[in-house]
Amino acid sequence: MFCDDVANLDASERSRYADLLVLIAAADGELVREEIQVLEGLMGRAMVHPEARTSIRKGLHDTHRLSNLLKNAEVQTLRFVLRDGALLAAADGDYDKREVTILKQIAKKAEVSNAELKEVFDWVSKGWEWHQSASSVLNLTAFKQNTPE
Amino acid sequence: MLPDTLHKLPREERFAYARILAYMARVDNEITVDELAMFEQRIGTALLSPNQRDQLRRALKNPPTLEECLEGLGPESGPLALRDALLMATADGSIDDDELEVLEDISDHLGLAEDSIPKLVEWAKKGYRWMDEGIELLNSLQQG
Repeated sequence: MFCDDVANLDASERSRYADLLVLIAAADGELVREEIQVLEGLMGRAMVHPEARTSIRKGLHDTHRLSNLLKNAEVQTLRFVLRDGALLAAADGDYDKREVTILKQIAKKAEVSNAELKEVFDWVSKGWEWHQSASSVLNLTAFKQNTPE
Repeated sequence: MLPDTLHKLPREERFAYARILAYMARVDNEITVDELAMFEQRIGTALLSPNQRDQLRRALKNPPTLEECLEGLGPESGPLALRDALLMATADGSIDDDELEVLEDISDHLGLAEDSIPKLVEWAKKGYRWMDEGIELLNSLQQG
């Protein structure tokens, strides 16, 4: 929704960022429309080139590339992935165990503790509550979604 | 970035929603990188086809009139377009007079309450604070 330094990473790190998000989205073996929506939004915000997005989407069917993607990754990229991967994993309303496992692997590589990862999850919950509060201003009854557990 | 009901709308309405954002991005005749990133994010979230996305990118160079954009909006896509047009307007840090005028025109077209814009501005400010908290959190991790 908001812009930040993700778009300033160099092109290869932005591709890595998007590839890792794809792995998180596909981790639970099913990809719901809410997850695709968030994933496409995050790739757009990162200004990943439209042609690169096409090949990144193919990664949805190849979930065995985590170790390759983590190798030589910049810590800053991995921390953006943790933040936005937590948003993505929450998109369908809850965190699947397999999504959390991948997030923990990325956190380990990024030198982020489990307690710090929990802070990221808490931040995601706050964002959901904020986002949904627009519905009362706009009188949108169909807007309600459950905050991720 | 956060899921909403946009993807549940008919494709034509999602396209109309995105045209409003293209219009909004060009109101002050210049597009900042932040506005472009937000625009790309929203058309990604709208799950439009690659062809529609290309049309919208072209609309950034040659935007339709506001009246044309408003025609395709429905009862749910309209308020969502207003919400996100306001976020687009604030992407460069402030809402200028021309942008405010367009937001009020959209709100009038949708028949929303007079205080909708100020309420949405307050809502957007809370969102920016939330995003800042996320950035502070990342920075604190980087110091660790």
